[in-house]
Amino acid sequence: MSKLFVVLLDDKRVNAIKGSGLEDKIEYMFGGNLRAFTMEMPDEKANTILKEFDTARTDTRGCITDTPLAFNRTLFEEIAKAKSLGPEVVDNTMARLDEIKELAAKESDYLPAPDIPT
Amino acid sequence: MSLRMTTPPPHGGRLEERVVRDPVLAKKLAKGCPVYDIKPTLSDKGVPVRNVYREIMSICYGFFSPVEGSMKEAEVERVLNERRLLNDWIFPYPLVFDISEEDYKQLGVTAGDRVLLRLKGKPFAILDVDEVWRIKDTTELAHRVFGTPEKNPEVVQEPFNAKHPGWVIYKSLNPVVLAGKYRIINEPKFRPPFDRFWLPPLKSREEYKKRGWTTVINHQTRNVPHVGHEHLMKNAAYMGDIEPCHGIQVNAIIGVKRKGDYPDESILEGHEAVNLGNYIKPQRHLVTFTLWDMRYGNPLESMLHGIIRQNMGCTHHMFGRDHAAVGEYYDMFATQTLWDKGIPSFGFDKSVCEVEYGLHIRPQNMREFWYCPLCQEIAYSESCGHTKEKEKFSGSFIRGMVGEGIFPPRVIFRPEVYTAVVKWWKEFNFPFCNQNYVVQQEQKLEVDLPDLDV
Ligand SMILES: [Zn+2]
Repeated sequence: MSKLFVVLLDDKRVNAIKGSGLEDKIEYMFGGNLRAFTMEMPDEKANTILKEFDTARTDTRGCITDTPLAFNRTLFEEIAKAKSLGPEVVDNTMARLDEIKELAAKESDYLPAPDIPT
Repeated sequence: MSLRMTTPPPHGGRLEERVVRDPVLAKKLAKGCPVYDIKPTLSDKGVPVRNVYREIMSICYGFFSPVEGSMKEAEVERVLNERRLLNDWIFPYPLVFDISEEDYKQLGVTAGDRVLLRLKGKPFAILDVDEVWRIKDTTELAHRVFGTPEKNPEVVQEPFNAKHPGWVIYKSLNPVVLAGKYRIINEPKFRPPFDRFWLPPLKSREEYKKRGWTTVINHQTRNVPHVGHEHLMKNAAYMGDIEPCHGIQVNAIIGVKRKGDYPDESILEGHEAVNLGNYIKPQRHLVTFTLWDMRYGNPLESMLHGIIRQNMGCTHHMFGRDHAAVGEYYDMFATQTLWDKGIPSFGFDKSVCEVEYGLHIRPQNMREFWYCPLCQEIAYSESCGHTKEKEKFSGSFIRGMVGEGIFPPRVIFRPEVYTAVVKWWKEFNFPFCNQNYVVQQEQKLEVDLPDLDV
């Protein structure tokens, strides 16, 4: 059975996929306020993710969670690039595994701050 | 029957303010005293787990009234056996000034002597030693402080151990206790942003009066508030006397941090953002803090919280499930039980508000808030029956969203609150407390001290 993966969206991310046709796939939570994609992860891709990242796990709804935040960010970049939620974006993401792992290793102490005025 | 509530008296009847503000008197008091430099309490791994300066501050500014200083052996025994001070007023924890045998030898003081305590190399406070006693076994002390499944079967579910940060504090104490009263002789100055949230009991009571508040409900926090917290505060505040509480006070506990907590600066400014954004009008909302290295003693911690906030002048206090808890050492309703019917094995066969020498602040025991898509509102768990459809404010979910850099929707995090988080994120390169923050904060502390030549 394939697994699921939730990709959270904010205005910036929604703008990045404008006109891609992916808008129709946006799901709404919290009264329409929280937007997200739910990706299907074929078993083979799910297993790779679970194998590569030791924090990653599958929750009771079959969603893969607790992946490094660098993985989540890269996955979205690849979705926006490919304008797709298909399994190939997971391949494209995993092709950047070295970069992800390097960032993930620092994640317990360092995370890039969002570029918003404070 | 009186319909209106009034500001409660301080715990013990009189607010302690043990601060000498006249430098001439301060110098006179400290003249010729042996000097001791305050050091952090270190765990056996060498990690700072407590700094007694925070206790001295909270005692001398009246947050812990009627406690006046470091406890004598008989007082610690009474606290452990009955959770009462020698003057009968209820109190949850032993508070002691502990030093090593080596330091004690070097200091060479005995009952009747006065010690000048320095903080960050500057004169800070004096301790008038009434008694010198020794903690025989800190492991035993730590177990007695928090309770055991055998002795406290109503609420303690599993034995405490080195995974519990409060237990580690007591376990790590030095063996020699200098018992006696403290007086601050050189007032520390809080660094921004702490300075604008510092409102010790005398000042908070003045502030309430100025604002015309008689009914004030307190919200305990160690967190940046999400919208679920905001709704807890707003809804709990409907409890008042003939109208909802006039004031909602947030009192953050500021002390030793754990990796993964939000930084103190984001917590304080995050709560302030709730009123700057007018989600709760600034006229009705007041953000403050107390210095204390959390012991995470769930019901015991809630008793201390009640004492602190009653001393500050609050009439009500919100208590949720798992109040000030870590792990599953205590039953999740232990705090609410203490305030509802009491916990006999801790010495209370009735609510801590109903026993002799107990508290006047009233508990407001609350359950949970979630978003309900059917009610189309942030709903109270005991009202909304849409348990299948509910969408919870899960802490780990929100932290994940924050860490990923997703701008949270305003129904989860107010943009002003999130902006405060990001402001300090930029400062510390991390939205939560990383190792660097934890170490630095214990070196810098929250204060600096002016020069005082004694
Ligand atoms: Zn509902």
